[in-house]
Amino acid sequence: MATDKTKHLKCVLDSHKIQKEQALLDKHITKKDEIKAALKEEYGSKMYEPFNSGSYAKHTAINTKFDFDLVAPYKRDAFDTLKEMYNAVHDFLHKKYSDEATVKKQKVSIGLEFFADEDGHVVKVDVVPGRELNQDQYKDDNNINLYVHSQLGTIPEGSERLKTNPKAQISNVKDHAEKESVRHDIKLLKIWKVQNGKKPKSFFLELITIKAFDKKDITGDLWDKLKAVLEFIRDEVKTISLPDPGNSNNDVADTLTDVEKSDLSDDMKYMLERIEENSDNIKLYFKVNPDHPCEDKMEENKYNVKREGVSAPPATRFG
Amino acid sequence: MKFFCATIGLTLSISETVVSKLILEGRKHYPKEYGGILVGRYSDDSKACIVEDTILPQNHKSSRYAFERGKEGLAQKLSELYEQTPRLIYIGEWHTHPDSAPFPSATDKQAMLQIANDNGVTIASPVLLILGLNSTSYTLGAYLQFQNQLIRYEQQD
Repeated sequence: MATDKTKHLKCVLDSHKIQKEQALLDKHITKKDEIKAALKEEYGSKMYEPFNSGSYAKHTAINTKFDFDLVAPYKRDAFDTLKEMYNAVHDFLHKKYSDEATVKKQKVSIGLEFFADEDGHVVKVDVVPGRELNQDQYKDDNNINLYVHSQLGTIPEGSERLKTNPKAQISNVKDHAEKESVRHDIKLLKIWKVQNGKKPKSFFLELITIKAFDKKDITGDLWDKLKAVLEFIRDEVKTISLPDPGNSNNDVADTLTDVEKSDLSDDMKYMLERIEENSDNIKLYFKVNPDHPCEDKMEENKYNVKREGVSAPPATRFG
Repeated sequence: MKFFCATIGLTLSISETVVSKLILEGRKHYPKEYGGILVGRYSDDSKACIVEDTILPQNHKSSRYAFERGKEGLAQKLSELYEQTPRLIYIGEWHTHPDSAPFPSATDKQAMLQIANDNGVTIASPVLLILGLNSTSYTLGAYLQFQNQLIRYEQQD
């Protein structure tokens, strides 16, 4: 029997809701708050308030990839160079957490992966150090410079000035993700990325989905809309520009090389062809989270009546 | 407008005419909250709920942040609708959130739990519509009290 693609995708989305992993989510929030407090204690007046900039903050989180990004904005005079800032924050986090987590240098962040707890839960928090461009300017525009530790797409290793504005990035994605269709398609692409071990950064997928909705008239049911986004990526990714909402001079499309963009286009092409050939193939690309299945249970749910007869609802107060 | 609750696989339909009526009544009382009850029917397989109309309360109290729906006359009106053909039944509640998002407050959640558990209510899962509105625009949030949880529907069109 053919698969109802929209029904399947709804189930996929439902099974990936972060609320279904509340305990793990709570542990991430607790650990993020703990790291934030440690940074504030260590750096005091040398820094501004650290904040979460990950998918949870942008309302595009899924429950199988729980990375929290904690942006740590420093004052201009806190460090002489961005490299010094990056290394100092790494050394501090390594000293404080290496007994309970793997602490490693990543592209622009320092990754902390805490060892599994008694529930088998692994908490991951990425700390992104950044420094304001000029003394006290951050308060006015939230702009910071990041240090690029290792090559980020076409952006070379050791780049001193990757200017960005994480708060503008968050609000841009969050505002667009208020539209349910955009939010659903972003989450589905993230699920595809995680389940299939694909390359693009989540931020890339967020921006290209938003652009697809901006450029195309996308309507229909959940599958129709996802298909339109997949087609857009297939057709446009090799030449597209994705200006960073945090700094229009940064092109987020540059976080993939030409070969990687070509691979992504091919991935979309083959995926669309295979799903077109046989609707069951959608289950190969977008899998229900087996920890939270929904299909069987859904068949049993109904609008039940407690008994036949007329209701007499009580007086009720709402707020 | 059609809503779907992906978590439990149930749908909710409400016509533009009914939505317009809710907006009209809500705006009459803006910037205070206002509301009423919803009447409609369930599909034969009990997987879909169709909102057909609203009954406005004969007595109520309201302020900018609260709405208390009275029950005067409601039972009589619901009895009449139950006897007519096609039969319409009580299916839930609606109220406005002036200048605010249509997210249920703690009071709203408590109210829906009480309604679902009330002996006078014959349905197990009452619907809650919240109309966030100001003088020029509105947003509709739809929720279902289902097995002790208030679950949000997602809009399909």
